[in-house]
Amino acid sequence: MAKSTIKLRTKVKGDKVQVKALITHPMHTGLVKNKKTGEKIPAQYITEVLVEANGKPVLTANWTGSVSKNPFLSFNYAGKEGDAIKLSWKDNTGKSDSIEKTVGKK
Amino acid sequence: MKRRSFLKNTIIASATGVAVSAGILSPSMALAAKHGDDPFKSKSVDEVLKMIGATAAEASDKIKIKAPEIAENGAVVPVTITSKIEGTTEIYSISSNNPTPLSAKYTFGEGAEASIKSRFKMGKSGDVVAIVKAGDKFYTAKAAVKVTKGGCGG
Repeated sequence: MAKSTIKLRTKVKGDKVQVKALITHPMHTGLVKNKKTGEKIPAQYITEVLVEANGKPVLTANWTGSVSKNPFLSFNYAGKEGDAIKLSWKDNTGKSDSIEKTVGKK
Repeated sequence: MKRRSFLKNTIIASATGVAVSAGILSPSMALAAKHGDDPFKSKSVDEVLKMIGATAAEASDKIKIKAPEIAENGAVVPVTITSKIEGTTEIYSISSNNPTPLSAKYTFGEGAEASIKSRFKMGKSGDVVAIVKAGDKFYTAKAAVKVTKGGCGG
């Protein structure tokens, strides 16, 4: 199996959990030209990222090509050690990936 | 006198009717703002505001935008948007001078802090506009970012 496109880190901070994610994705806007061929690189960007904690959605992100290549995301939510975190993404070409992690475990 | 009060009541009743239908309108607008629809493809900030129904957004100092004053590389501009407004459910991030200004929409679930850090592309210098939705109201704040090297072109 190919290596996961998602790097997910969680950290307990008091009664909050910090979630940090780094997704490997080209995030092509569809406006950039290939310098060698002069042809436009087709758009390929993540349209939706969903973060769930214990099965409940805590963050939904709707993205466009304006988000940087290899997008990074960080936020906090009220949680505790042992929570099951799931992050999944979809892009406009139909690709997707997801990762599951337990808070507090590497 | 009776006729007058009757008229008054009907007017009040119809006014509430309008308010209710306006209330019905806002969830459907929220649906229209979902991805795949137009706001993400619109070409101007005003259009985006119209589509998400935030034209009447109030400026608020409870929204903090942390963005570099000068971004050397427009391809990676780190932006943190924090809303201290109670009941914040959605944060929109708009890069005013991008070909498609609406860059991202974040919807917060239960327990999530209304603060988000991510990185955006910016083609040109311009404002980063944050639109925060709390309850049925919209609030806004902006921060100017100078880009020395654009991140949208080749």
